[in-house]
Amino acid sequence: MELLTQSYLLLQKDLRLELRRRDSLLTMFFFGTLLLFVFHFSFDVAADKMAEMAPALLWLAFLFTGTLGLAQLFQSERENHCLDALLLSPLDRGALFLAKSGFNLLLMILVELVVMPLFWILFNLSSWNLLPQLFLVTLLGTVGFCVLGTIMSAITLRARARELLLPLVLFPLMIPVLLATIRCMETVLKTGTFNDAAPWLRLLFGFDVIFLTLGVLIFDWVIES
Amino acid sequence: MAQTIQTIKQRKGILGALAAVAVAIGLYWSLAVAPPDAYQGDVQRIMYLHLPSILTAYLSYFLVFVGSAMYLWKRERRDDLLAHAAAELGVLFTALTIIEGSIWGKPTWGVWWTWDARLTLTAILLLIYTGYLMLRSLIDDENRAASAAAILGIIGFLDIPLIHMSVYWWRTLHQPPSILRPDKAPWENVHPAMLTALVISFVGFLLIYFYLLSLRYRVGEMRQEIKTLRLERGV
Amino acid sequence: MGAWGFVALAYGIVWSAIVMYWIFLKRRYRAAEAELSRLRSLEVSSDNVKK
Repeated sequence: MELLTQSYLLLQKDLRLELRRRDSLLTMFFFGTLLLFVFHFSFDVAADKMAEMAPALLWLAFLFTGTLGLAQLFQSERENHCLDALLLSPLDRGALFLAKSGFNLLLMILVELVVMPLFWILFNLSSWNLLPQLFLVTLLGTVGFCVLGTIMSAITLRARARELLLPLVLFPLMIPVLLATIRCMETVLKTGTFNDAAPWLRLLFGFDVIFLTLGVLIFDWVIES
Repeated sequence: MAQTIQTIKQRKGILGALAAVAVAIGLYWSLAVAPPDAYQGDVQRIMYLHLPSILTAYLSYFLVFVGSAMYLWKRERRDDLLAHAAAELGVLFTALTIIEGSIWGKPTWGVWWTWDARLTLTAILLLIYTGYLMLRSLIDDENRAASAAAILGIIGFLDIPLIHMSVYWWRTLHQPPSILRPDKAPWENVHPAMLTALVISFVGFLLIYFYLLSLRYRVGEMRQEIKTLRLERGV
Repeated sequence: MGAWGFVALAYGIVWSAIVMYWIFLKRRYRAAEAELSRLRSLEVSSDNVKK
């Protein structure tokens, strides 16, 4: 598919750039880990309480870390008029959207792969066997975050106080993802299966599909020179 | 649609007067004619404010959506003006809805605030559309601001059902729905005077809304023209 | 605070807010109208051009 080929090309470009300097990745890693420490000092609770709060705290960490990534997302395009060059090329804008959200998704997945086990270690949680399922839910949530976040990152590109504005417009819209992901993870931790969490999963999946499609369709209007 | 907007723009004064009359009648009906509620007493009269406010806010957000979509499609300034005006009014009416809900909640639930589904949802709406207004004010280029806001206007509106679902599930999955909820309209066994009060109040709110909307729209339109003239006249 | 106290509080806040917004709008309206008529009556002259 033409769209996917173009997206892949653009994604490769960003990956190559990132592999060279690893700016975004390292900052996000560090910030995610830092937040775990901050949580330790902020929440003086018993270990089992911490286990209950794990999904929520994890997702707070991911939310803020991901926002860091989103703020950086179009940085390479802003320099040297790269954005204009991209827009002049016959590339489908939807491909740009897929590439950028895919890139942020990859960054976040890498961070999550490290931070989640780290959380389990630092807070002495025992439910290691459930990590794969929990990671799956996190993945679904992260997709929703990246998809909506990329659109928001793009429309706030030229705004003043952008670092403040981006979370301001993004977070309220993220509430379904936040609720669905955290509640789902809590259910999995409590019962060990996905059964009771089915409606949340459906909501999450629906959210991802809706905004992924929407993003591809409307990105033409989102990015203007 | 354009014809209606034209008419509303020109006959603002009449609209305003009509609105005032409807509101006055509504107030009389809500406060004097309608009987006090069997369970909640006179406090229930706040419903004649609360329901119309939230419905007007929803209407406003729908207009933001329509204006945003039309603007992205046709790129006509007037659609953007409509979206902006509707967003501002939407924020006003949502804020009022929350205040009314809070005041109603104190005597009925005992607290000024509770994270029940309705109030939470209304608060989220307020956040979304305040964000919309902030986005507009923080982007200097007019056309970019309009496009960016239009995207947010569309996405925000489409997200609302999802937010609605998630908040409702969260709040009802583990808690039994309370019997006495200030926002539940008791359609069975409702006294006809109460229904009339509600309808008249709603009409009053709608007329006030369209009156204010027409004013706000015109202000936006004038500001547009002022900008253009300033450029032309070299001021 | 009795029942009517709450009712008065709610109705009071709502209607004063609406009236205040209306006044605020009217002010912006009149200012814009004045500026508009001022600009319209201006001739395009070099005096207006900022150096």
